[in-house]
Amino acid sequence: MRRGGLVLAGVAVAVLLLAALYPVDAITTHLGERFQGPSVSHPLGTDGLGRDVLARLAAGTRLSVWFTLLAVALCAVVGTLAGLLSGYAGGAAAAVVQRLVDILVAVPTVIVGLVVVAVREPGLGSLLIAVLLTGWAPFARLAHQLTLRERSREYVEGAVAIGAGPVRIAVRHVVPNALRPLVAHACLRFANVLLSIAGLSFLGLGAQPPTPEWGAMLAEGRQYLFVAPQLVLIPAVAVVGTSLLVTLLGRQLEGRWSSQ
Amino acid sequence: MTTALLRRLLPLPFVVLAAALLVFLLPRLAGIDTVRAVLRSRVAEAEPDPAVAARLTAELGLDRSWIEQFLRWLGRALTGDLGLSFATRTAVAPQLGAALEVSAVLAVLALLIAAVVGIPSGVWAARRPRGALDRVVTGLSVLGVAVPEFILAPVLVLVLAIAVPLLPATGWGTLPQAVLPVLTLAAFPTALAAQLTRAETLDALGLPHIPVARAKGLTERRVLWKHAARLALTGVTALSGLFFAGLIGGAVVVEVVFGIPGVGRLLYDAVLGQDLPMIQAGLLAIVVIAVLASAAAELAQLTMDPVALSRALR
Repeated sequence: MRRGGLVLAGVAVAVLLLAALYPVDAITTHLGERFQGPSVSHPLGTDGLGRDVLARLAAGTRLSVWFTLLAVALCAVVGTLAGLLSGYAGGAAAAVVQRLVDILVAVPTVIVGLVVVAVREPGLGSLLIAVLLTGWAPFARLAHQLTLRERSREYVEGAVAIGAGPVRIAVRHVVPNALRPLVAHACLRFANVLLSIAGLSFLGLGAQPPTPEWGAMLAEGRQYLFVAPQLVLIPAVAVVGTSLLVTLLGRQLEGRWSSQ
Repeated sequence: MTTALLRRLLPLPFVVLAAALLVFLLPRLAGIDTVRAVLRSRVAEAEPDPAVAARLTAELGLDRSWIEQFLRWLGRALTGDLGLSFATRTAVAPQLGAALEVSAVLAVLALLIAAVVGIPSGVWAARRPRGALDRVVTGLSVLGVAVPEFILAPVLVLVLAIAVPLLPATGWGTLPQAVLPVLTLAAFPTALAAQLTRAETLDALGLPHIPVARAKGLTERRVLWKHAARLALTGVTALSGLFFAGLIGGAVVVEVVFGIPGVGRLLYDAVLGQDLPMIQAGLLAIVVIAVLASAAAELAQLTMDPVALSRALR
């Protein structure tokens, strides 16, 4: 199992490195070279505007992965703080926060994305806001539960008895112990956010052409489904492959850390 | 039962009210000048006549306090007056009604597939964990959850409409046209139902009443379906909120991709066309449906699960 995880991580790092280093231009159109098959100069062929598909996939990998990482990190920080505070506050305040979390968890990201775009305009900024609006909620729920669990431990009671204040307990005891489950959860959320971002871009609400993003590539490729189905299948494999890989990683981490 | 239900349902009107307030405030959040937007939708003038603008402001009640405006807007919405669409300049309500019918058909068909296919396969998979059938069901359900609608839709079109031209790729109204959209929309709830049912059935099979049922000499089939699966179903019902979010989000994608005139498509077109009354009406409809669905799920759970009922009464 451990070796499998290492191999997966190695594949991911190699793909990211390749994506970062692949030098071919992904934006300039070459209308004379539309719909070319795989060749030495274009390993995955060209798209409907003559752009190198591998270059767009690589640029899309950079965008999708970094953007998703940023979104998940922001959600994790905000959600963990909210969960920690509500775990400490208790009472009515915590009940209100958890009720809000219950509602937000059930709100579809596509609808939030539509609302944000209605208020602002399509683009990556709106996408980030849409993901943040609901994405903090699952972290807040988990952090709340973990805070309550850690605070009721005997060693924390001991620390309180020798005079440790709430901030010290939170920073020295609760957060370090909550970190592993939160990281495992972040992996599972990564897949979810990746799909949300690609889905909203697919609908034209996120990344705008000619920005190479996986969802936007799928939407563009769909116009040529009859002539060049690979333009849909290639980004599709990238999206599903990445989300499966990260989900598996998250489940393994969750399983290993919860069994300890 | 009634007390428990009341206690759970009581917050729901407040949720609707809060959501309605947010929907009402949407144009203000967007910084949209309603008078100008309405005038621009009626006459194609960049700079409206101040006299006309003033008259319209009074007519729409925009010179009053926002609480008054909100109550008026809400009152009209409750009587079925959702205003005029900026795009078509016709009443929003009938368009929304027609779209709701279409989406309801789509969603009900997808949920029906999820119930008929997903739940039994989850139970079958739980019968022998790690057996061949379990591996197939688990693998397919992981794939079903991981593959989003915006990928499944073009892939299904590619396979069943282009490579093997069996079915039409777009449209709505005939039975063949419904097959691909319904399959696309059903994939996620079906896979989720299978996963949840499998997990809940496995939990139920570990409970002490199962050896008792076996000791009584009941057939394995009866133990599985009567004593484990029925219990699992209450657990799955409790998690029905998970289905809803996926179904609504999926419906937007499916309706856009297949050109189906449902609520998701209506809202999508309205957002891209900046058709504010239509956006507000669509969002309000989705909120109300969400609240009704969660109330129905509560009711179903309380009738099916005596443990949940006694917990709710405590």
